[in-house]
Amino acid sequence: MAKDYDDSTKTICKVLDIELVEIPDWNCCGAIDAVYSFKPLYSIALAARNLAIAEKMQMDLVTPCSACYFTLKRTNKILREDTETKSKVNEALANLGFNYNGSLRIRHLADILLSDIVLQKIKEKVKIQLTNLNIASYYGCYLVRPPEICNFDDPEHPTRLEELVETLGASKVDYYGKTRCCGASLGLTDEELALKMSKDILLSAKNSGANCLATACHLCHFNLDARQKDIESRFDIKINLPVLYFTQLVGLAFGIEPKQLGLQRNWQS
Amino acid sequence: MRARKLSHEKDKLTAQAKTTQIGVRKETRRDFVKEVTKMPGGEKILECIQCGSCAGGCPSMFAMDYSPMQIIKMINLGMKKEVLSSSTIWVCSLCYTCATRCPRNVDFPTLMMSLRNKAIREKLVKDSTKSNFHKYFFEIVNKYGRMHTPELIVKLLDITDLHSLLHNARLGLRLFKIGKLHLRATKIETSWVSSIREKTDQEEIQ
Repeated sequence: MAKDYDDSTKTICKVLDIELVEIPDWNCCGAIDAVYSFKPLYSIALAARNLAIAEKMQMDLVTPCSACYFTLKRTNKILREDTETKSKVNEALANLGFNYNGSLRIRHLADILLSDIVLQKIKEKVKIQLTNLNIASYYGCYLVRPPEICNFDDPEHPTRLEELVETLGASKVDYYGKTRCCGASLGLTDEELALKMSKDILLSAKNSGANCLATACHLCHFNLDARQKDIESRFDIKINLPVLYFTQLVGLAFGIEPKQLGLQRNWQS
Repeated sequence: MRARKLSHEKDKLTAQAKTTQIGVRKETRRDFVKEVTKMPGGEKILECIQCGSCAGGCPSMFAMDYSPMQIIKMINLGMKKEVLSSSTIWVCSLCYTCATRCPRNVDFPTLMMSLRNKAIREKLVKDSTKSNFHKYFFEIVNKYGRMHTPELIVKLLDITDLHSLLHNARLGLRLFKIGKLHLRATKIETSWVSSIREKTDQEEIQ
């Protein structure tokens, strides 16, 4: 479902000389509450398995998915602060030959792209200025909330992604919906609600002059892009707003072929 | 000088008096409040000042039967059944807007997760689709080690709802056309699943 995000991430990181080493046999982090609400301790152990493998690799853990970013960071916090849970989880991981010590640093891909060195490199590698694009940067929830766990930017008025947008030569768009929730898993369990929540974001961006929305989470992308047709027919409106991943926009500015960025997997574009 | 009996002591006596015939102490409203304060997310609920910042910023409030502010008040009043059978705890999208703004640092979304767990265990779930999501997600992750969304969507389908079946078939076709429908799941080595499950088989959020 997120192959386009995956393709574009790997493609641009290659151009930027960023070496990405995929965690071998990484498993599902538990997706915020998907497993946690049902089997809480198991869900912490699930996420911890990834942390333990990454810690052994002695590298920072980077994820392009905002939901995983939150889940893994929350797990990290729990394991660092709750010694009882940490020992229970490590007891479970011991059978697999793993142990998590709590030293891992977890970052969102966007944080890497916006670090000084990488941003400078991006500036240098831009071949095509995206001048005709008014890009509404969509932060969603977990890039910036809750602030004590996810601290990529200010939770109410974030601006870091706009910096990236301007580096690519495009115009930034300020709009009300930039940190509003798209509906997340309600897109699967209660479609009506997610349609309404996503509609608010898309219309807010459109009405502020955006001709493109950029996102950093594949579930947001699904609700805003793949379900855009459903929103249009449900509310009898026309939106027509392409939704891209930030990595795809960077790739386009680098002059990379759209197919290599997975753009054929966008419904609206 | 005799010390004045404090209200909670009086309650304790009243509660003790409300025993059933077989001598099991009946659960009181205060028991529920105490239980929630011990759940993740429930630590600060007694400090809620009912300011409404949570309800004001909530993007899914339009679909809730009780607002976030009301739910906290209801918990503090010990209204266990109403809280656990509400739509609120399931419709919350866990966006953390409320938790970010709360002047008392009530972690409402985490509390929602804890209450979902409690509602499942007490069999008070209002809309089974929502609770089934968790069950099916859990089953699929155990099977493949990762998620397989098409399978999850299929499992959640209500086969008696023809309209929804057609709608989802259309969505499936759209996703297939743009190459987003991966019918085959990516499976990793999953022998570790049963091993971890054995050691963490704890149903309750603590």
